[in-house]
Parts: sequence; C-alpha cells; structure tokens
Amino acid sequence: MPDWLNILIRSLVSIVFVFILTKLIGKRQLSQMTFFEYTVGIALGDLAAMIADDLSGPMYKGILAMSVYAGFPILLGWLALKNKSVRNFVEGKATILIKDGKVMEDNLKKERMSSDELLEHLRLKNAFRVADVEFALMEPNGKVSVLMKSQNQPITPKHLGVTVAPETEPQTVIMDGKILDESLATRGFNRGWLNTELNKAGVLLENVFIGQVDTNGQLFLDLYDDLIQVPQPQTLKLTYLTLQKCQADLEIFALSVQDAAAKKRYEQEAARLKQVLNDVTPLLTR
Amino acid sequence: MTISQQVKTTVASLKGAQANLESFALATQNKQAKQLYTQAAQDTQTILQSLEQRVTQLEKEEPQYKGF
Repeated sequence: MPDWLNILIRSLVSIVFVFILTKLIGKRQLSQMTFFEYTVGIALGDLAAMIADDLSGPMYKGILAMSVYAGFPILLGWLALKNKSVRNFVEGKATILIKDGKVMEDNLKKERMSSDELLEHLRLKNAFRVADVEFALMEPNGKVSVLMKSQNQPITPKHLGVTVAPETEPQTVIMDGKILDESLATRGFNRGWLNTELNKAGVLLENVFIGQVDTNGQLFLDLYDDLIQVPQPQTLKLTYLTLQKCQADLEIFALSVQDAAAKKRYEQEAARLKQVLNDVTPLLTR
Repeated sequence: MTISQQVKTTVASLKGAQANLESFALATQNKQAKQLYTQAAQDTQTILQSLEQRVTQLEKEEPQYKGF
C-alpha cells in the first residue's frame, strides 16, 4: 500500500473517530469549564493528528489512547454528577475575590492574581469603580462574576413598580420561504391560519425570508424584497385605542345627558371601562 | 348625528374591541395573559349589556331613530 493511500485512510478514520468521540463527550467539553477539560480537548486533537500522519505504528494504538482520553472526562463527569465532594475536587470551587465591597487579598494571592488583573476583570464586567462592587468571585473556569451594589444595578420594570405583560418565546414559522409545520403546531396554529395572515399582509410565501409569531399571535414578516412595505400588525394598538375612545365617549355622554339615572349609568360604565383599560394596558401597548 | 346614533356608534366600537380581546385571549398561549384578556373581555361584555339597555331606552324615547 503506498504511503499516500495509507495517510488518506488514516486521516479519514481519525476524523470520523474524533467526530464520534466529541459527540459522545457532548457540549460540556465545548464550554471547557475546567482546565482539565481544556487539556483533554487539546490532547484528543493531538492524538487524532498522530494517527493520521504517524505511519510507524498500527492505528488501533492511537484509537485506544483516544478512547481513554475521551472516556475519562465522561466517567469523571458522571461521578461529579453523583457526588458533591467529587465535584468539588474535579471541577474546583469558586474563589471569592470581593466580599461586602472589600477585596480579599489572601484569596487574590491564592489565585496568583495581581491588583491590575483584578481591575481588568472588573472593567470587563463594566465595573470601573471597585466601590461599585458588592461581591465578585472567580469561577472554576477562570472567569470573574461580579455582583454590583444594588444602587448600581440596571433599572428594571420591577424597580419602577411597572407591571409588564408576560412574554413567551416567539416561534419562527417561516424560514427561507418554507413553512415550518412543527413550530407552527407548537404555537397552536395551522397552515390555514398562516395563509390567511399572509393574504392579509398581501405577501407571497416564496417572498418571505423569516416569519415569526409573537406572544399575541401576531405575525412578523421579513421579505427578500426589501422594497415591499409589509404592514406592521396593528390589531393590539387599534384595540387599545378603540377602548380608550369608547371610554372617553362614555364620559362625554355622562356629562351631556340630562336624565339622572342615565348619567349614573354612563358614569359607572365609564369607570368600569377605565378599570379594564388599566388592566390590559401592559398587554396591549408593547 | 343624534345622541342615540352616537351611543350606538360607541357601542359598536366597543363590541369590536371586545371581540378583539376575546381573539387575543384565544391566540395567546401564556396563561397569565390569557386570564387577563378573558377577564377584560368579560368585563367589557357587562359594560356592553348595560349600554345596550340604555340604547333600548333611547329608542323608546325617540322611536323615529330606531335601528341604524
């Protein structure tokens, strides 16, 4: 067998084998949470390359070594899942760098981290002032997590006491001009509904690049042809405005009517409609 | 436009909005939103009923403007 054919076969075998092994190890290896996993990843790649171009030994030896290298993290991962102390040993523990706004110098020394490095890590987390940081720790993978003091945390609707409508994930129902039946069914719609919506927008299915259904069942469309204006879904806004208009109308009726009983009825219904409006405002205006 | 016509217009718009609320309640899959929409639709329905009584009353007072 000529050398080139040998190399060709070995390369193909090692590539396929590496592919299978990486699938077995899974996504975790990709995230490289620990230094150990990082090393295993490199070693696996190196071994695969050795199989491909080292013609001196038989292939099975390299494959055996690769299997061991891939099997070990799987085994360790399984053990770590079962037992907390194994987990602490295998994956390491986080080191607290700042606690109660004070830098833990001893822990910094343990991680061999200089003050410059600490500041750099904090800056990467947008904490330019140490005074703004309440708590920071170094995760086992070497990244620094930072908890800002509460007055420096970004403001959220919760802080403002604003009620916001619940949000569920949108479903992509059209991709590259093709209907995705599965996500359409997940959202509880069918092709008939989608066709009606497309007709309403006056758009051909083939012209749609991406179509997404949001929480309210409104269809957003992006077309291949950007010159065509797609009407934005308006039903929510329209309903909100109609309700507001009706509420205002009722108040006007209440003011203009002479009959006392009718006045009372209008006032009462206006107040009730106002309450309804308050309840649905976060849902309809977003 | 007479008063009774104005009231009828308002009732009609409110009916449309109420139907929309019901269709939103059906379309959303979020439980909380569904419940809010349903509640709003029900409340609007009660308001509508009360207003319709007023419309009947108006029609009695001004029979010449009965219907649309």
